[in-house]
Amino acid sequence: MGLFGKYRKKSPWILHYNTGGCNGCDIEILAALAPKYDIERFGALNKGNPKQADILLVTGPVTKNCKDVLRRLYLEMPEPKVVVAMGACAHGGGIFRNFYHVENGVDNIIPVDVWIPGCAPRVEALIDGIAEAIEIWQTKSKEKEYMRNHGEIYEKLGVNNDD
Amino acid sequence: MIWLIFAILAPVIGGFVFGIERKVKARIQGRMGPPLMQPFYDFAKLMDKRPMMIHSLHALMGIMYFVAEWFALFVLFLGNDLLIAVFFHVLAVLALVIGASSVRSSYSALGALRELMHMISYEPFMVLMVVAFYLVSGSFNFKDILNSQAPIYQLPLVFLSFLLIIPMMLQKSPFDIAEAHQEIIGGPEIEYSGPFYEAIYTGKWIEYIYVFFFVFLFGGSNYILGSILVIFAFLFVNILDNSTARLDFRKMVKFSWVVLIPLAALNIILLALWR
Ligand code: SF4
Repeated sequence: MGLFGKYRKKSPWILHYNTGGCNGCDIEILAALAPKYDIERFGALNKGNPKQADILLVTGPVTKNCKDVLRRLYLEMPEPKVVVAMGACAHGGGIFRNFYHVENGVDNIIPVDVWIPGCAPRVEALIDGIAEAIEIWQTKSKEKEYMRNHGEIYEKLGVNNDD
Repeated sequence: MIWLIFAILAPVIGGFVFGIERKVKARIQGRMGPPLMQPFYDFAKLMDKRPMMIHSLHALMGIMYFVAEWFALFVLFLGNDLLIAVFFHVLAVLALVIGASSVRSSYSALGALRELMHMISYEPFMVLMVVAFYLVSGSFNFKDILNSQAPIYQLPLVFLSFLLIIPMMLQKSPFDIAEAHQEIIGGPEIEYSGPFYEAIYTGKWIEYIYVFFFVFLFGGSNYILGSILVIFAFLFVNILDNSTARLDFRKMVKFSWVVLIPLAALNIILLALWR
Protein backbone atom coordinates (compact mmCIF):
# COMPACT_ATOMS: atom_id res chain seq x y z
CA MET A 1 0.00 0.00 0.00
CA GLY A 2 1.65 3.17 -1.18
CA LEU A 3 1.04 6.82 -0.67
CA PHE A 4 -2.33 6.69 -2.34
CA GLY A 5 -3.49 3.55 -0.58
CA LYS A 6 -4.23 5.39 2.64
CA TYR A 7 -7.19 7.12 1.09
CA ARG A 8 -8.56 3.94 -0.38
CA LYS A 9 -11.08 3.44 2.40
CA LYS A 10 -12.69 6.80 1.74
CA SER A 11 -14.14 6.03 -1.65
CA PRO A 12 -15.60 2.55 -2.02
CA TRP A 13 -17.53 2.29 -5.27
CA ILE A 14 -20.14 -0.40 -5.26
CA LEU A 15 -21.22 -2.65 -8.09
CA HIS A 16 -24.53 -4.25 -7.26
CA TYR A 17 -25.59 -7.43 -8.99
CA ASN A 18 -28.74 -9.44 -8.41
CA THR A 19 -28.34 -13.05 -9.44
CA GLY A 20 -32.00 -13.94 -9.25
CA GLY A 21 -33.24 -13.07 -5.77
CA CYS A 22 -36.62 -11.64 -4.90
CA ASN A 23 -35.60 -7.94 -4.98
CA GLY A 24 -36.06 -7.64 -1.21
CA CYS A 25 -32.33 -7.14 -0.75
CA ASP A 26 -32.11 -4.70 -3.65
CA ILE A 27 -34.71 -2.49 -2.07
CA GLU A 28 -32.65 -2.42 1.09
CA ILE A 29 -29.62 -1.37 -0.94
CA LEU A 30 -31.59 1.43 -2.53
CA ALA A 31 -32.79 2.47 0.93
CA ALA A 32 -29.17 2.70 2.00
CA LEU A 33 -28.47 5.08 -0.89
CA ALA A 34 -31.60 7.13 -0.25
CA PRO A 35 -31.70 10.19 2.04
CA LYS A 36 -32.35 8.43 5.34
CA TYR A 37 -29.18 6.33 5.49
CA ASP A 38 -27.22 8.00 2.68
CA ILE A 39 -24.08 5.92 2.34
CA GLU A 40 -22.76 8.49 -0.12
CA ARG A 41 -21.62 10.31 3.04
CA PHE A 42 -18.80 7.77 3.17
CA GLY A 43 -17.97 8.27 -0.49
CA ALA A 44 -19.75 5.15 -1.68
CA LEU A 45 -21.23 5.44 -5.14
CA ASN A 46 -23.41 2.94 -6.93
CA LYS A 47 -21.48 2.40 -10.16
CA GLY A 48 -22.99 0.29 -12.87
CA ASN A 49 -19.61 -0.46 -14.34
CA PRO A 50 -17.42 -3.35 -13.12
CA LYS A 51 -14.27 -1.72 -14.46
CA GLN A 52 -14.60 1.20 -12.08
CA ALA A 53 -16.05 -0.60 -9.04
CA ASP A 54 -14.32 -1.85 -5.91
CA ILE A 55 -16.96 -3.76 -3.99
CA LEU A 56 -19.07 -6.41 -5.69
CA LEU A 57 -22.34 -6.63 -3.79
CA VAL A 58 -24.14 -9.83 -4.77
CA THR A 59 -27.68 -10.65 -3.76
CA GLY A 60 -29.76 -13.69 -4.48
CA PRO A 61 -29.04 -17.37 -5.19
CA VAL A 62 -26.87 -17.86 -8.22
CA THR A 63 -29.12 -19.16 -10.95
CA LYS A 64 -27.52 -21.22 -13.68
CA ASN A 65 -28.06 -18.50 -16.27
CA CYS A 66 -26.39 -15.86 -14.12
CA LYS A 67 -23.35 -17.97 -13.29
CA ASP A 68 -21.15 -16.88 -16.18
CA VAL A 69 -22.20 -13.27 -15.91
CA LEU A 70 -21.22 -13.24 -12.25
CA ARG A 71 -17.82 -14.73 -13.14
CA ARG A 72 -17.28 -12.19 -15.86
CA LEU A 73 -18.17 -9.30 -13.58
CA TYR A 74 -15.71 -10.60 -11.01
CA LEU A 75 -12.97 -10.97 -13.60
CA GLU A 76 -13.56 -7.53 -15.08
CA MET A 77 -13.11 -5.72 -11.79
CA PRO A 78 -9.52 -4.55 -11.33
CA GLU A 79 -7.80 -5.48 -8.08
CA PRO A 80 -7.94 -4.63 -5.21
CA LYS A 81 -11.55 -5.71 -4.89
CA VAL A 82 -13.81 -7.35 -2.34
CA VAL A 83 -16.94 -9.41 -2.69
CA VAL A 84 -19.87 -9.01 -0.31
CA ALA A 85 -22.65 -11.58 -0.31
CA MET A 86 -25.91 -10.21 0.98
CA GLY A 87 -28.94 -12.07 2.25
CA ALA A 88 -29.80 -15.67 3.02
CA CYS A 89 -30.07 -16.52 -0.69
CA ALA A 90 -26.51 -15.53 -1.37
CA HIS A 91 -25.27 -17.65 1.54
CA GLY A 92 -26.58 -21.03 0.58
CA GLY A 93 -29.65 -20.59 -1.49
CA GLY A 94 -32.03 -19.45 1.25
CA ILE A 95 -35.59 -20.23 0.30
CA PHE A 96 -34.37 -21.31 -3.13
CA ARG A 97 -31.98 -23.92 -1.73
CA ASN A 98 -31.58 -27.06 -3.84
CA PHE A 99 -33.94 -25.94 -6.54
CA TYR A 100 -33.22 -27.32 -9.97
CA HIS A 101 -32.03 -23.99 -11.33
CA VAL A 102 -29.75 -22.59 -8.63
CA GLU A 103 -26.13 -23.05 -7.67
CA ASN A 104 -26.73 -22.58 -3.93
CA GLY A 105 -24.85 -19.47 -3.01
CA VAL A 106 -22.23 -17.10 -4.30
CA ASP A 107 -19.41 -18.99 -2.66
CA ASN A 108 -19.78 -21.81 -5.17
CA ILE A 109 -18.82 -19.45 -7.99
CA ILE A 110 -16.49 -16.74 -6.70
CA PRO A 111 -14.62 -16.24 -3.41
CA VAL A 112 -16.57 -14.16 -0.88
CA ASP A 113 -14.99 -11.88 1.71
CA VAL A 114 -17.93 -10.66 3.78
CA TRP A 115 -21.29 -12.23 4.52
CA ILE A 116 -24.30 -10.16 5.51
CA PRO A 117 -26.94 -12.37 7.19
CA GLY A 118 -30.69 -11.87 7.13
CA CYS A 119 -33.67 -12.11 4.84
CA ALA A 120 -33.79 -9.33 3.95
CA PRO A 121 -30.85 -7.85 5.91
CA ARG A 122 -31.56 -4.56 7.57
CA VAL A 123 -29.86 -1.48 6.24
CA GLU A 124 -27.78 -1.22 9.42
CA ALA A 125 -26.45 -4.71 8.76
CA LEU A 126 -25.64 -3.72 5.20
CA ILE A 127 -23.69 -0.68 6.35
CA ASP A 128 -21.85 -2.82 8.90
CA GLY A 129 -21.01 -5.31 6.19
CA ILE A 130 -19.71 -2.59 3.88
CA ALA A 131 -17.57 -1.17 6.70
CA GLU A 132 -16.12 -4.63 7.31
CA ALA A 133 -15.52 -5.06 3.58
CA ILE A 134 -13.65 -1.77 3.48
CA GLU A 135 -11.38 -2.99 6.27
CA ILE A 136 -10.59 -6.17 4.37
CA TRP A 137 -10.12 -4.16 1.20
CA GLN A 138 -7.54 -1.96 2.93
CA THR A 139 -5.30 -4.98 3.50
CA LYS A 140 -5.51 -6.27 -0.07
CA SER A 141 -2.86 -5.53 -2.66
CA LYS A 142 -2.82 -4.78 -6.34
CA GLU A 143 -1.71 -8.29 -7.25
CA LYS A 144 -3.95 -10.49 -9.28
CA GLU A 145 -6.24 -12.74 -7.30
CA TYR A 146 -7.32 -16.08 -8.59
CA MET A 147 -10.71 -17.47 -7.94
CA ARG A 148 -11.48 -21.07 -7.22
CA ASN A 149 -10.27 -23.44 -9.99
CA HIS A 150 -9.73 -20.56 -12.33
CA GLY A 151 -8.00 -22.67 -15.00
CA GLU A 152 -11.10 -24.66 -15.67
CA ILE A 153 -13.25 -21.56 -15.64
CA TYR A 154 -11.03 -19.75 -18.10
CA GLU A 155 -11.24 -22.70 -20.41
CA LYS A 156 -15.00 -22.90 -20.10
CA LEU A 157 -15.44 -19.20 -20.76
CA GLY A 158 -13.07 -19.27 -23.71
CA VAL A 159 -10.84 -16.59 -22.21
CA ASN A 160 -7.13 -16.71 -22.96
CA ASN A 161 -5.10 -16.86 -19.79
CA ASP A 162 -2.68 -14.07 -20.52
CA ASP A 163 -0.07 -14.59 -17.81
CA MET B 1 1.66 35.51 -13.88
CA ILE B 2 -1.40 35.01 -11.74
CA TRP B 3 -3.18 33.44 -14.71
CA LEU B 4 -0.31 31.00 -15.20
CA ILE B 5 -0.61 29.89 -11.58
CA PHE B 6 -4.34 29.61 -12.05
CA ALA B 7 -3.85 27.43 -15.11
CA ILE B 8 -1.36 25.18 -13.31
CA LEU B 9 -3.68 24.78 -10.32
CA ALA B 10 -6.72 24.17 -12.52
CA PRO B 11 -7.13 20.46 -11.65
CA VAL B 12 -7.06 21.24 -7.92
CA ILE B 13 -9.58 24.06 -8.19
CA GLY B 14 -11.73 21.99 -10.53
CA GLY B 15 -11.67 19.17 -7.98
CA PHE B 16 -13.00 21.52 -5.33
CA VAL B 17 -15.69 22.74 -7.70
CA PHE B 18 -16.67 19.13 -8.34
CA GLY B 19 -16.74 18.45 -4.59
CA ILE B 20 -18.96 21.47 -4.01
CA GLU B 21 -21.19 20.29 -6.79
CA ARG B 22 -21.66 16.86 -5.25
CA LYS B 23 -22.42 18.51 -1.94
CA VAL B 24 -24.96 20.89 -3.49
CA LYS B 25 -26.58 18.04 -5.37
CA ALA B 26 -26.90 16.00 -2.17
CA ARG B 27 -28.41 18.94 -0.32
CA ILE B 28 -30.96 19.45 -3.08
CA GLN B 29 -31.95 15.80 -2.65
CA GLY B 30 -32.13 16.15 1.13
CA ARG B 31 -28.98 14.16 1.91
CA MET B 32 -25.78 15.02 3.77
CA GLY B 33 -23.54 14.39 0.82
CA PRO B 34 -19.89 13.32 0.66
CA PRO B 35 -17.11 15.46 2.15
CA LEU B 36 -15.72 18.32 0.14
CA MET B 37 -12.45 16.47 -0.47
CA GLN B 38 -14.23 13.45 -1.93
CA PRO B 39 -12.97 13.92 -5.54
CA PHE B 40 -9.39 13.82 -4.28
CA TYR B 41 -10.04 10.65 -2.30
CA ASP B 42 -11.46 9.14 -5.46
CA PHE B 43 -8.37 10.31 -7.31
CA ALA B 44 -6.06 8.60 -4.78
CA LYS B 45 -8.07 5.41 -4.86
CA LEU B 46 -8.19 5.22 -8.65
CA MET B 47 -4.43 5.74 -8.86
CA ASP B 48 -3.99 2.77 -6.54
CA LYS B 49 -5.94 0.30 -8.66
CA ARG B 50 -4.40 -2.24 -10.99
CA PRO B 51 -4.13 -0.75 -14.49
CA MET B 52 -6.17 -2.76 -16.97
CA MET B 53 -5.72 -1.68 -20.56
CA ILE B 54 -7.82 -2.69 -23.51
CA HIS B 55 -5.09 -1.62 -25.89
CA SER B 56 -2.49 1.11 -25.76
CA LEU B 57 -4.22 3.57 -28.12
CA HIS B 58 -7.34 3.43 -26.00
CA ALA B 59 -5.40 4.18 -22.82
CA LEU B 60 -3.37 6.90 -24.54
CA MET B 61 -6.50 8.65 -25.76
CA GLY B 62 -7.84 8.71 -22.21
CA ILE B 63 -4.70 10.49 -21.04
CA MET B 64 -4.75 12.63 -24.17
CA TYR B 65 -8.20 13.90 -23.19
CA PHE B 66 -6.83 15.15 -19.87
CA VAL B 67 -3.71 16.67 -21.45
CA ALA B 68 -5.61 18.41 -24.24
CA GLU B 69 -8.17 19.85 -21.82
CA TRP B 70 -5.39 21.23 -19.70
CA PHE B 71 -3.61 22.50 -22.79
CA ALA B 72 -6.74 24.35 -23.87
CA LEU B 73 -6.76 26.08 -20.50
CA PHE B 74 -3.11 27.03 -20.88
CA VAL B 75 -3.78 28.42 -24.33
CA LEU B 76 -6.61 30.45 -22.86
CA PHE B 77 -4.72 31.79 -19.86
CA LEU B 78 -1.40 32.52 -21.55
CA GLY B 79 -3.06 35.21 -23.65
CA ASN B 80 -3.83 33.50 -26.92
CA ASP B 81 -7.04 33.78 -28.87
CA LEU B 82 -10.23 32.47 -27.35
CA LEU B 83 -10.91 30.78 -30.67
CA ILE B 84 -7.76 28.69 -30.43
CA ALA B 85 -8.75 27.60 -26.94
CA VAL B 86 -12.13 26.54 -28.30
CA PHE B 87 -10.43 24.51 -31.00
CA PHE B 88 -8.15 22.80 -28.49
CA HIS B 89 -11.21 21.90 -26.50
CA VAL B 90 -12.58 20.26 -29.63
CA LEU B 91 -9.32 18.32 -29.86
CA ALA B 92 -9.76 17.09 -26.31
CA VAL B 93 -13.28 15.85 -26.94
CA LEU B 94 -12.12 14.25 -30.19
CA ALA B 95 -9.47 12.32 -28.27
CA LEU B 96 -12.23 10.91 -26.09
CA VAL B 97 -14.27 10.00 -29.16
CA ILE B 98 -11.36 8.28 -30.90
CA GLY B 99 -10.51 6.34 -27.76
CA ALA B 100 -14.09 5.30 -27.19
CA SER B 101 -14.67 4.16 -30.76
CA SER B 102 -11.44 2.17 -30.93
CA VAL B 103 -12.72 -0.63 -28.70
CA ARG B 104 -15.20 -3.32 -29.57
CA SER B 105 -17.64 -2.61 -26.77
CA SER B 106 -20.89 -1.51 -28.35
CA TYR B 107 -21.72 0.74 -25.40
CA SER B 108 -18.47 2.56 -25.89
CA ALA B 109 -19.02 3.03 -29.62
CA LEU B 110 -22.55 4.26 -28.98
CA GLY B 111 -21.20 6.69 -26.42
CA ALA B 112 -18.66 7.98 -28.92
CA LEU B 113 -21.37 8.66 -31.49
CA ARG B 114 -23.46 10.45 -28.93
CA GLU B 115 -20.45 12.49 -27.86
CA LEU B 116 -20.17 13.65 -31.48
CA MET B 117 -23.81 14.68 -31.32
CA HIS B 118 -22.94 16.74 -28.27
CA MET B 119 -20.11 18.32 -30.18
CA ILE B 120 -22.15 19.36 -33.18
CA SER B 121 -24.70 20.92 -30.89
CA TYR B 122 -22.40 23.06 -28.78
CA GLU B 123 -19.28 23.86 -30.78
CA PRO B 124 -20.95 26.20 -33.35
CA PHE B 125 -22.38 28.10 -30.45
CA MET B 126 -18.97 28.42 -28.81
CA VAL B 127 -17.55 29.96 -31.98
CA LEU B 128 -20.52 32.34 -32.18
CA MET B 129 -19.98 33.33 -28.58
CA VAL B 130 -16.33 34.14 -29.21
CA VAL B 131 -17.40 36.26 -32.18
CA ALA B 132 -19.86 38.06 -29.92
CA PHE B 133 -17.08 38.77 -27.44
CA TYR B 134 -15.03 40.17 -30.29
CA LEU B 135 -17.84 42.50 -31.29
CA VAL B 136 -18.10 43.86 -27.78
CA SER B 137 -14.46 44.22 -26.86
CA GLY B 138 -12.68 44.33 -30.21
CA SER B 139 -10.26 41.59 -29.30
CA PHE B 140 -9.95 37.83 -29.09
CA ASN B 141 -7.74 38.04 -26.02
CA PHE B 142 -9.39 37.33 -22.69
CA LYS B 143 -7.45 40.11 -20.95
CA ASP B 144 -8.97 42.75 -23.23
CA ILE B 145 -12.40 41.30 -22.59
CA LEU B 146 -11.79 41.47 -18.85
CA ASN B 147 -10.81 45.12 -19.26
CA SER B 148 -13.79 46.11 -21.36
CA GLN B 149 -17.26 46.98 -20.16
CA ALA B 150 -19.33 44.00 -19.01
CA PRO B 151 -20.44 42.13 -22.17
CA ILE B 152 -23.57 40.80 -20.49
CA TYR B 153 -25.36 44.12 -20.97
CA GLN B 154 -24.90 43.85 -24.71
CA LEU B 155 -25.17 40.08 -25.01
CA PRO B 156 -28.08 39.01 -22.80
CA LEU B 157 -29.43 36.51 -25.32
CA VAL B 158 -26.01 34.95 -25.82
CA PHE B 159 -25.71 34.53 -22.07
CA LEU B 160 -29.15 32.99 -21.88
CA SER B 161 -28.26 30.50 -24.59
CA PHE B 162 -24.94 29.75 -22.94
CA LEU B 163 -26.75 28.87 -19.70
CA LEU B 164 -28.53 26.12 -21.62
CA ILE B 165 -25.38 25.09 -23.48
CA ILE B 166 -23.54 24.42 -20.20
CA PRO B 167 -25.53 21.24 -19.44
CA MET B 168 -24.53 19.94 -22.88
CA MET B 169 -20.85 20.65 -22.30
CA LEU B 170 -20.73 19.25 -18.78
CA GLN B 171 -23.15 16.42 -19.59
CA LYS B 172 -25.78 17.37 -17.08
CA SER B 173 -29.25 16.05 -16.89
CA PRO B 174 -31.53 17.22 -19.67
CA PHE B 175 -28.66 16.72 -22.10
CA ASP B 176 -26.50 14.02 -20.48
CA ILE B 177 -26.92 11.90 -23.57
CA ALA B 178 -23.37 10.69 -23.98
CA GLU B 179 -22.92 9.37 -20.47
CA ALA B 180 -26.35 8.00 -19.79
CA HIS B 181 -25.61 6.22 -16.56
CA GLN B 182 -28.64 3.99 -16.62
CA GLU B 183 -28.47 2.83 -20.22
CA ILE B 184 -24.97 2.96 -21.62
CA ILE B 185 -23.25 3.14 -18.26
CA GLY B 186 -20.96 6.11 -18.76
CA GLY B 187 -20.78 5.98 -22.56
CA PRO B 188 -17.30 6.85 -23.83
CA GLU B 189 -15.62 6.17 -20.50
CA ILE B 190 -17.12 2.73 -19.91
CA GLU B 191 -14.00 0.76 -20.82
CA TYR B 192 -11.55 2.88 -18.86
CA SER B 193 -10.45 1.67 -15.46
CA GLY B 194 -8.00 2.55 -12.73
CA PRO B 195 -5.44 5.26 -13.58
CA PHE B 196 -6.83 5.77 -17.08
CA TYR B 197 -10.29 6.41 -15.79
CA GLU B 198 -8.67 8.81 -13.37
CA ALA B 199 -7.32 10.83 -16.30
CA ILE B 200 -10.82 11.22 -17.69
CA TYR B 201 -12.23 11.98 -14.25
CA THR B 202 -9.72 14.79 -13.80
CA GLY B 203 -10.24 16.02 -17.35
CA LYS B 204 -13.86 16.60 -16.38
CA TRP B 205 -12.81 18.84 -13.50
CA ILE B 206 -10.73 20.92 -15.87
CA GLU B 207 -13.70 21.20 -18.18
CA TYR B 208 -15.61 22.75 -15.29
CA ILE B 209 -12.99 25.48 -14.98
CA TYR B 210 -12.99 25.99 -18.74
CA VAL B 211 -16.77 26.40 -18.92
CA PHE B 212 -17.19 28.57 -15.86
CA PHE B 213 -14.37 30.82 -16.97
CA PHE B 214 -16.39 31.65 -20.07
CA VAL B 215 -19.27 32.54 -17.77
CA PHE B 216 -16.89 34.75 -15.81
CA LEU B 217 -15.89 36.57 -19.00
CA PHE B 218 -19.46 37.89 -19.29
CA GLY B 219 -18.77 40.07 -16.27
CA GLY B 220 -16.10 42.07 -18.09
CA SER B 221 -14.15 44.49 -15.94
CA ASN B 222 -16.73 44.11 -13.17
CA TYR B 223 -15.27 41.08 -11.37
CA ILE B 224 -18.00 41.02 -8.74
CA LEU B 225 -20.66 40.79 -11.45
CA GLY B 226 -18.63 38.01 -13.05
CA SER B 227 -18.49 36.04 -9.81
CA ILE B 228 -22.22 36.47 -9.26
CA LEU B 229 -22.84 35.20 -12.78
CA VAL B 230 -20.64 32.16 -12.15
CA ILE B 231 -22.44 31.29 -8.91
CA PHE B 232 -25.81 31.82 -10.57
CA ALA B 233 -24.86 29.62 -13.52
CA PHE B 234 -23.52 26.92 -11.17
CA LEU B 235 -26.70 26.79 -9.10
CA PHE B 236 -28.92 27.01 -12.16
CA VAL B 237 -27.17 24.10 -13.85
CA ASN B 238 -27.38 22.00 -10.69
CA ILE B 239 -31.05 22.66 -10.14
CA LEU B 240 -31.73 21.90 -13.79
CA ASP B 241 -29.69 18.71 -13.47
CA ASN B 242 -31.69 17.51 -10.50
CA SER B 243 -35.14 18.37 -11.77
CA THR B 244 -35.17 17.09 -15.34
CA ALA B 245 -35.00 13.76 -17.13
CA ARG B 246 -32.88 12.86 -20.11
CA LEU B 247 -33.95 13.90 -23.62
CA ASP B 248 -33.53 12.23 -26.94
CA PHE B 249 -30.36 13.26 -28.75
CA ARG B 250 -32.37 14.50 -31.74
CA LYS B 251 -34.17 16.88 -29.44
CA MET B 252 -30.87 18.16 -28.11
CA VAL B 253 -29.48 18.88 -31.57
CA LYS B 254 -32.77 20.40 -32.69
CA PHE B 255 -33.01 22.57 -29.60
CA SER B 256 -29.48 23.77 -30.08
CA TRP B 257 -29.75 24.50 -33.79
CA VAL B 258 -33.31 25.82 -33.87
CA VAL B 259 -33.46 27.79 -30.65
CA LEU B 260 -30.10 28.52 -29.07
CA ILE B 261 -27.89 29.27 -32.07
CA PRO B 262 -30.47 31.54 -33.83
CA LEU B 263 -31.00 33.32 -30.51
CA ALA B 264 -27.29 34.03 -30.19
CA ALA B 265 -27.07 34.98 -33.88
CA LEU B 266 -29.99 37.38 -33.48
CA ASN B 267 -28.22 39.06 -30.59
CA ILE B 268 -25.04 39.41 -32.64
CA ILE B 269 -26.89 40.75 -35.69
CA LEU B 270 -28.80 43.32 -33.64
CA LEU B 271 -25.59 44.38 -31.95
CA ALA B 272 -23.79 44.76 -35.28
CA LEU B 273 -26.68 46.76 -36.78
CA TRP B 274 -26.95 48.98 -33.74
CA ARG B 275 -23.30 49.84 -33.84
S1 SF4 C 1 -32.30 -13.01 0.98
FE1 SF4 C 1 -34.51 -12.82 1.21
S2 SF4 C 1 -34.93 -10.70 0.65
FE2 SF4 C 1 -32.89 -11.16 -0.12
S3 SF4 C 1 -33.18 -11.82 -2.22
FE3 SF4 C 1 -33.21 -13.67 -0.95
S4 SF4 C 1 -35.35 -14.07 -0.47
FE4 SF4 C 1 -35.19 -11.91 -1.22
